[in-house]
Amino acid sequence: MSIKLRDLIRSVRSCKTASEERSVISRESAMIRTAIREEQEQFRHRNVAKLLFMHMLGYATHFGQLECLKLIASPHFPEKRIGYLGLMLLLSEEADVLMLATNSLKNDLNHSNQFIVGLALCTIGNLATPDMSRDLATEVDKHLRSGSPYIRKKAALAMARCLTKCPDMVEDFVERIVSLLKDRSHGVLITAVQLMSCVCEIEPEVGKGSFVRLVPSLVRLLRNLLSMGYSPEHDVSGISDPFLQVHLLRLMTVLGEGNEEASEQMNDILAQVATNTETAKNAGNAILYECVQCIMTVESEEGLRVLAINILGRFLLNRDNNIRYVALNTLGKVVLQDSAAVQRHRNTIVDCLKDPDVSIRTRALDLIFKLVNLDNVEGLTAELLNYLVVCQSENKSDICTRTLGVVDKFSPNERWRVDTLITLLTIAGKDCDDRVLSASSTYIASSKDGVKAYAVHKLVKAMRDDDGTQEGLLIVAIWCIGEFGDMLLNPHTSENGVSYQALEPLNVISEVEGVTKQVTCTNAIRQRALTCFAKLTVRFAHCDAGVVQKLRVLVNKFKASINLELQIRACEYSNLIVEGGSGKGSLARMPVVDPKVAGKKSLRGSMSSGGIDAGAIANSSIPGGGGAVGGGQDVGGDLLDLLDLGGGTPAAAPAAAPTTNQSAIQTAQSTDADLLSDIFAAPMPTPSGAPTVVPPAMGGGGGGGDLLGDMFRGTPAPLAPVAQAPAPAAMPPQPPVVDMFAPQPVAPAGNGGTTANPTFTAFSKDNLTIEFETRKEDLSSQSCEVVATFKNSGFADMTGMNFQVAVPKYITMEMLPPSGTTVPCNGGGNVSQVVKVTNTQMGTKKLMMKLKISYTCAGAKVEEMATASGFPVGY
Amino acid sequence: MCAFIEWKDKKIVYKRYASLFFVACVNSDDNELITLEKIHLFVEILDRYFGNVCELDIIFNFHRAYHILDELMIGGYLQDTSKKEVLKSCSTMDDMMDDEKEIGAGGNGSRRNSSKK
Repeated sequence: MSIKLRDLIRSVRSCKTASEERSVISRESAMIRTAIREEQEQFRHRNVAKLLFMHMLGYATHFGQLECLKLIASPHFPEKRIGYLGLMLLLSEEADVLMLATNSLKNDLNHSNQFIVGLALCTIGNLATPDMSRDLATEVDKHLRSGSPYIRKKAALAMARCLTKCPDMVEDFVERIVSLLKDRSHGVLITAVQLMSCVCEIEPEVGKGSFVRLVPSLVRLLRNLLSMGYSPEHDVSGISDPFLQVHLLRLMTVLGEGNEEASEQMNDILAQVATNTETAKNAGNAILYECVQCIMTVESEEGLRVLAINILGRFLLNRDNNIRYVALNTLGKVVLQDSAAVQRHRNTIVDCLKDPDVSIRTRALDLIFKLVNLDNVEGLTAELLNYLVVCQSENKSDICTRTLGVVDKFSPNERWRVDTLITLLTIAGKDCDDRVLSASSTYIASSKDGVKAYAVHKLVKAMRDDDGTQEGLLIVAIWCIGEFGDMLLNPHTSENGVSYQALEPLNVISEVEGVTKQVTCTNAIRQRALTCFAKLTVRFAHCDAGVVQKLRVLVNKFKASINLELQIRACEYSNLIVEGGSGKGSLARMPVVDPKVAGKKSLRGSMSSGGIDAGAIANSSIPGGGGAVGGGQDVGGDLLDLLDLGGGTPAAAPAAAPTTNQSAIQTAQSTDADLLSDIFAAPMPTPSGAPTVVPPAMGGGGGGGDLLGDMFRGTPAPLAPVAQAPAPAAMPPQPPVVDMFAPQPVAPAGNGGTTANPTFTAFSKDNLTIEFETRKEDLSSQSCEVVATFKNSGFADMTGMNFQVAVPKYITMEMLPPSGTTVPCNGGGNVSQVVKVTNTQMGTKKLMMKLKISYTCAGAKVEEMATASGFPVGY
Repeated sequence: MCAFIEWKDKKIVYKRYASLFFVACVNSDDNELITLEKIHLFVEILDRYFGNVCELDIIFNFHRAYHILDELMIGGYLQDTSKKEVLKSCSTMDDMMDDEKEIGAGGNGSRRNSSKK
């Protein structure tokens, strides 16, 4: 015997445990299924009611769907009512059996009892599928003209659903909708207005086209509402029918957008609503909110916009959280149009960032990112970083990336930018995107020396304070230590008064070692630490020998690592950094990357075959291996071959064009000739042959961003581009190279030309003189030897002498190791180095070389660049 | 705490009445404040219908609460703004239900007696 609904509810509520409840439900469910199978009619509506209850609790009730259909077909009103309710709750739009209801619905739509018609319309409005809509639309339409407002309002909403499901039917029914606006009943009015908004949403052109002429009627309706006086039926806290007001405003927003004429008709009423609405209660605020949105969307006049922004400002200061949320939301949409007005409220918005409510914080954060400009960037970024500390971790990555965007665009100076990025990494290093890491490294590397020193000192301190969790911070810190470790050995005081002491090399090494020993250290960090150790052998080369030895030991330790990558690196590095190895060349400091081009290149991916992606600099652990600066004394072969490896594009080298995008693009498609001209800091005439006049001060441009071009940035004079280039008319002439450092080079040919080995001074500055002597066995051969002799006339030794040479394309070169790296003072001894060159254009072109010299003298590091062109003819 | 939560691409608006939460889900561009008013309208109608409504009323008469909701909203759109109208149609339909039940009881009396299970 089935129980009453009330009893079922009572017994479920009295269950103490979940399993008890499950057993009660399953028992009753079984009884209902039996009843369904046995087709017991009299309890059908009670059973469906019980099924509805079980459905609300979350149990399976699909077996009751057909029962609902049977109930709907019954002539009794209570059964129909429960049947339709069951249909609406147990079935969804996707249910197949819903189709079977169409016939019953059609019958009920034609029923004499208006409440039954109402039930049918309600069901259509909630559930209709596209097919059902097509079938029943005409019936529904008939009811739009019904005599009873009760039916009319339900028909309007049923029609809204039908049209949403079948947008193509809109044109048929548009006219009928228009006539609904003349109704007196508020129910019909509000449903009609909502129907019109719905139509404008699904078919904007049709909807707006047909309804825009009704704007005066809408305005009139709104005005009537405002002047209506007290009506108990529609009153909500002193405002008459706020719902209708809000929906009217909504419709007017849609119709007025982009339409000057319609907007003009609305101006008065919008002003009236904005000024006269009571703000004490939520209903009034709801109307004001809608009104403000309307004003900001339609083509309203300036005075109205100011009024709207003021209302939003007032909302922002309201104590009610809901109002503040709404204000932040709307300001976010408005800030693009009128950012000055929003700036005035900046402090309030920043306070909202500290609100306990999460929705308000999210809106405030969005708004702050939109408000940042050059004036307020420092203050706002400080607030953002504060927020980053407390926000949830799923949002951190996003905030980091957006902060990077802010830092990119609005940094006042380099030091602030580097500071902010380091702080960002300290707070959220492990959640940062890779882009943030590479951008940080790029910015640090491209900043001035003072800022670099500051950055690397600060990073070491941060690394020390970190507990090993902020992976991003550790990666950037280790990279910077590797690159700029020599700066750590000097104390540093920055402009803001923060001072750092000098660190001992062993301390630095043990810091990095300590990081690798931590439990939380990942393999990525260890890989970079290995690279760091390898680079430090060069950076600390002038220190105590024990330091370099310790580094070698550390690298060797990883040769036995389980991880294959670490093992490989350790083996390769240990070979690189052995005594007298080629480490110096390959591990020298990386050339500078221009952040903008780095970003572009990382977007473009690597166009060159196997070229190192500039954007991956921070993550790459191979120290400029592909694009080694300088000759790489033991690397042998041609320097330019290395560059060719990258397909001849500068993307092969980690360096990127410092300045013009044009040259970057140019060189990306460059021919070999372009590559060479980059070396000599002259922009190549484009392969298309367009002539380019080379400005003398192009030095800073660094040509197409080839690493060598970068290196030799100091050279002012443009040099001859190579013969392989298509020869346009305005090719810069072959000038004698003006070496701004050297005194006039000794004229090669003629002066002492009878000597077998012409000698000239290639470089002379700061007590260092380099003389080149060209030797040739066979005068007709293209090969010769250039012996470079280093002389020190000062009174301090020059240690760590590092001599690098670059040659044009038509020359191949091989550098032999120097006789030593210390040039004793006061001419006490000389160092010499042999460079073997082959001039494939002998006779047509002279030898040319670009030199880079670096050494330490009296505790100061010196780096010089020069061009040697005093070569004799015929070599 | 504010009464709005951003959820996926929609918004959740809720209002608390004693121990009950009335939750509505709306589009991101909908007016949240008026949604709060709509929730309040529904609660006021329930209050008038049940006479000082409490949670138990809604639990034991959920089908009636649904019927009232069906008179207030269809497909998420508001049907009427007048409490009086909504309650009027609800009570008329309740009367119809009672009439039918009496008729049904009288007519089916014999049926019930004979179909004992």
